[in-house]
Amino acid sequence: MKNSAVLVIGGGIAGIQASIDLANLGFQVHLVERTPSIGGRMAQLDKTFPTNDCSICILAPKMIECANHERVNLLTYSEVIEVEGQAGDFRVKLLKKPRYVDMNKCTGCGECVERCPRRVPNEFNLFLDRRKAIYLPFPQAVPRKMTIDAQNCLYFLKGRCRLCEEACQAGAIEFEQKEETVELSVGAIILATGFDPYDVSALREYGYGEIENVITGLEFERLISASGPTSGELERPSDEKPPQVIAFIQCVGSRDVNYNPYCSTVCCMHATKEAILAGEHYPDLKSFVFYTDLRAVGKGFQEYVTRAKEEYGVTYIRARPGRITAKNGHPTVWYEETLFKEGEERKVRKMEVDLVILCQALVPHRSHREVAGKVGVELDEVGFIRIPDRLSRPMDTSVEGIFACGFCQSPQDIPDSVIQASGAAARVAELLTPERAGRDG
Amino acid sequence: MASDDQPTILVFACNWCSYAGADLAGVSRLEMPPHCQVVRVMCSARVRPEFVIAALSRGLDGVVVLGCHPGDCHYSEGNYYTRRRALLLKGLLEYVGIESERFQLRWISASEGAKFARTITEITDAIKALGPNGWRQPPPEG
Amino acid sequence: MARRRIGVFVCHCGNNIGGVVRVPEVVEYARRLPNVVYAEGSLYACSQEGLSSMKEKIAAYGLNRVVVASCTPRTHETLFRNTCEEAGLNRYLFEFVNIREHCSWIHMHAPDEATEKAKSLIKMGVAKSCYLEPQEELESEVCPEALVIGGGVAGMTAALNLARQGLKVRLVERGKQLGGLLSEVNKLFPANREAKEILDPLVEGVKNHPLVTIYLGSEVESVEGFIGNFKVRIAKVEEEIKVGTVIVATGARELKPIGQYGYPTMANVLTQLELEERLKEGVDEWQSVVMINCVGARVADRSYCGRFCCLVSMKNAILIKEGNPQAKIYILHRDVMASGVEAERYYRRAMELGVRFIRYDPENPPQVLGDGRVEEVKVYHALIGREVILPAQMVVLTTPLVPQADNERLSKMLKVPLGSEGFFLEAHLKLRPIEFATDGVYLCGSARHPSDITESVSQAYAASAKAAIPMREGVVRAEAITAFSQESLCNGCGNCLWVCPFGAIELRDSERRGQVAGVNAALCKGCGCCVAACPNGAMQQRGFSDQQLMTMIEALAEGV
Repeated sequence: MKNSAVLVIGGGIAGIQASIDLANLGFQVHLVERTPSIGGRMAQLDKTFPTNDCSICILAPKMIECANHERVNLLTYSEVIEVEGQAGDFRVKLLKKPRYVDMNKCTGCGECVERCPRRVPNEFNLFLDRRKAIYLPFPQAVPRKMTIDAQNCLYFLKGRCRLCEEACQAGAIEFEQKEETVELSVGAIILATGFDPYDVSALREYGYGEIENVITGLEFERLISASGPTSGELERPSDEKPPQVIAFIQCVGSRDVNYNPYCSTVCCMHATKEAILAGEHYPDLKSFVFYTDLRAVGKGFQEYVTRAKEEYGVTYIRARPGRITAKNGHPTVWYEETLFKEGEERKVRKMEVDLVILCQALVPHRSHREVAGKVGVELDEVGFIRIPDRLSRPMDTSVEGIFACGFCQSPQDIPDSVIQASGAAARVAELLTPERAGRDG
Repeated sequence: MASDDQPTILVFACNWCSYAGADLAGVSRLEMPPHCQVVRVMCSARVRPEFVIAALSRGLDGVVVLGCHPGDCHYSEGNYYTRRRALLLKGLLEYVGIESERFQLRWISASEGAKFARTITEITDAIKALGPNGWRQPPPEG
Repeated sequence: MARRRIGVFVCHCGNNIGGVVRVPEVVEYARRLPNVVYAEGSLYACSQEGLSSMKEKIAAYGLNRVVVASCTPRTHETLFRNTCEEAGLNRYLFEFVNIREHCSWIHMHAPDEATEKAKSLIKMGVAKSCYLEPQEELESEVCPEALVIGGGVAGMTAALNLARQGLKVRLVERGKQLGGLLSEVNKLFPANREAKEILDPLVEGVKNHPLVTIYLGSEVESVEGFIGNFKVRIAKVEEEIKVGTVIVATGARELKPIGQYGYPTMANVLTQLELEERLKEGVDEWQSVVMINCVGARVADRSYCGRFCCLVSMKNAILIKEGNPQAKIYILHRDVMASGVEAERYYRRAMELGVRFIRYDPENPPQVLGDGRVEEVKVYHALIGREVILPAQMVVLTTPLVPQADNERLSKMLKVPLGSEGFFLEAHLKLRPIEFATDGVYLCGSARHPSDITESVSQAYAASAKAAIPMREGVVRAEAITAFSQESLCNGCGNCLWVCPFGAIELRDSERRGQVAGVNAALCKGCGCCVAACPNGAMQQRGFSDQQLMTMIEALAEGV
């Protein structure tokens, strides 16, 4: 009888969906997530295309369903250190990193966060604002338990403070907490480790990191989110004023042999969405999208783009800008219009805007190589998890019994990730269900 | 709460189509006048004529029933019954002296957020034009 | 009526509600409503903190009714009902008030009015909650057998996966053979694998698996019932078949662009599938081929993109070019849809092999010229800004997949919706892409939206997982919003029976009253048609009774 427990690595929407489906199918699921909360990238989005659903509103019930499921063992702030064995019988070692907070006592009240004097750049908000050294990654975090970032905590750095301990009425602070090793025995493994945004400062011509009002797509999402660093006000970084004209540059670091040769798949759509959101917040704002091929291939996507054009006046310009310069904080986009009407003059143009959003390439998550190495699966030449037979077994990795779903195996949007997650669950079910001749009705 | 230009309008919306359409209007942040209040029912056919009469006779300025487009009712036939009842009800209202425009039936699908917004705006304007409901009866004792 | 102790929980939803509606004022208002013993505001009622607080307060204040004022019940009703249950309260003693989609979000520039409206909506919700009664959900057994409609790559994948999970499957295919669209395809990108390589193992698999019963040359004629208990009639099959779940995998068909670009009258103007048929016999030595993409797609009366047809055109272009490196192959497109890693790599390969990509403007489309037989194509090359004339021995029109002709029939039969383009419409585009709002029916492959093989197979596996869940559980619970008849008030008129769309009502003999109506709760879908038809108020609907709805009307009218 094969082991009917399953390990899911990665707690984004794909990992969450796979876990829920497997648990509902009767399997014991161990969901491992590197950060203190499940939710992943979807928690960082404001809205999702093409429905413009509030992202966290549709994600939160799934997070809670997953965490509350009797057959899901949530292991957040944990990492995989070793995997041995084969399909049906994997032996996994996990490292539970110390939160320095007793999960059984912490009520998530937040008093400790109020008292903590130490502010550090907030990774959830793409470092656009600060969080405390003891923190909850975002307001709807699951599990709702605090974590102490030991690398920035005054107690761990200098042996002082301990104000959180003083503030905590539940006595949940545990500075002496140690990391723990957890050993699991599972029959199958599902990888759902997601993606990271590409560091576009490499593209010096676009001035990211030098020109203040040049930001990335994910940063835009955080700015326009009600729970983000500016409470949903789209503010130009330079003067905190709302922009009047904004430009989206597509394929930054994507479809480029110098950086990432592939297409990141979701950027044409997320730029369209962001232009719509900007238009909703500021009806007089003008948006321009500089694209190469406008990849709106999914269900409802073409209609969404039409809506952006007709209802929100978004203008699409087919050009890959060569350079962005700045004058007094106003970025100027230098480009060449590539589509010509007969008789039109071809020339280099410039557009002065208030804010530039670089739709950055999305690359395999930084933990990928390590995880793939530990688990023993192959990566393809750009670093995504290799799927040997995409046509018949689109979720099967190079190792039997190990499956991969979502962005970690190929750039894709939320519906496709969710589909692959459920699909991976079906593959696991097939693998781990003992053969049965049939059942009486 | 009600005054000459602040009507109070009751809207029955069916769960599968029009309530979802109203949700979509919300998600799309479509502004509309604030005088309509939505009550959810599973099917527009749940709305019995007595509700409409009771609402209007207690002084509400308008009652709107929203359902799925004919042919698309989640329960196959519900909205056909709604349509028939609406016809009879309009006649009855006129007969007892309530402007039949105070009762409206419209079809809104789950994807018609914009239509919901337009419908609400249009009906609100029409009911404002009729003035406040002159027919007010106290509720029965007990 | 026993003493009601109502708790009202008003959600800020971050800024979504709190940024418009003055929540603290609303909480104060709620606190003073009749029968309310506790009211609080929370930042996110659906968060763990919000839910724990709710459970705590239910216990601390002995609440026996809970009203939550936040977003739409369509998102979180189950969540809050579960929370009530965890706190020991029957899950049907809970009422949801929508002050976001129906209030704060549509009155963003009218905070005063939005605040007053929120109060009024809550007043109605509180009034209704007084009359809520505890309910038990009806459990019914799930037949552990699935019906898969469509024997193409998606249908077969789903069927085989279910069978290998130990579940019985009935696979119905209207063609004489299994295979669907894939049997018309020649080779598959990116590695030029033969379509048969994918198809044959699937066909062998389903034919040989003891748990799969295949019906060829058959169609599903009717499906009655509900999740766990569908009764199916298949053409040419005598007995009625009972299944627990249904998977729709009926695929799509290639659009034949009759009347466009000389099709079908001009010789050597074909569609991509027709080209596949020719290529199966070998790659001819064509010297010049022009492919026109987006024919019949992304146009006024068909707005969607065919999703993978750009890749099909590239695949066939590469095959022809590899067979004859001297050939001039042109692909006329409006955007090159090659998302992701493999597709983008494939596009580069096509370019490196010498396939020429020319972008055209849909307002100035290409012209196919020739006398009875195609000779050349004239097109305005948008990137160089002038018209070019391309030699063309053959013109291939790349068209999207379109819905099957009988989708409407199937949609009515299964009571599942079609979207505006005619494909089946799933429950939720983002998070429930292969389920229908109707429980127990699932969707995969091009029946949903044009999908290539990888996508169809992924969706088929996903549909299989979803279908397997209730079949594994063994039981489903029906929402307790069914109708019921109060014998003492019923005069047996039969109006209810006559209007019920599901045949869920019967007249039966009663000792004291002659004939009275009785509702079969297993068949009742909770529409309420019968309640409105009942002249005596004998027929009522749980959760939507006359009393509950009237009290809301009275609450609203009170303020007038």
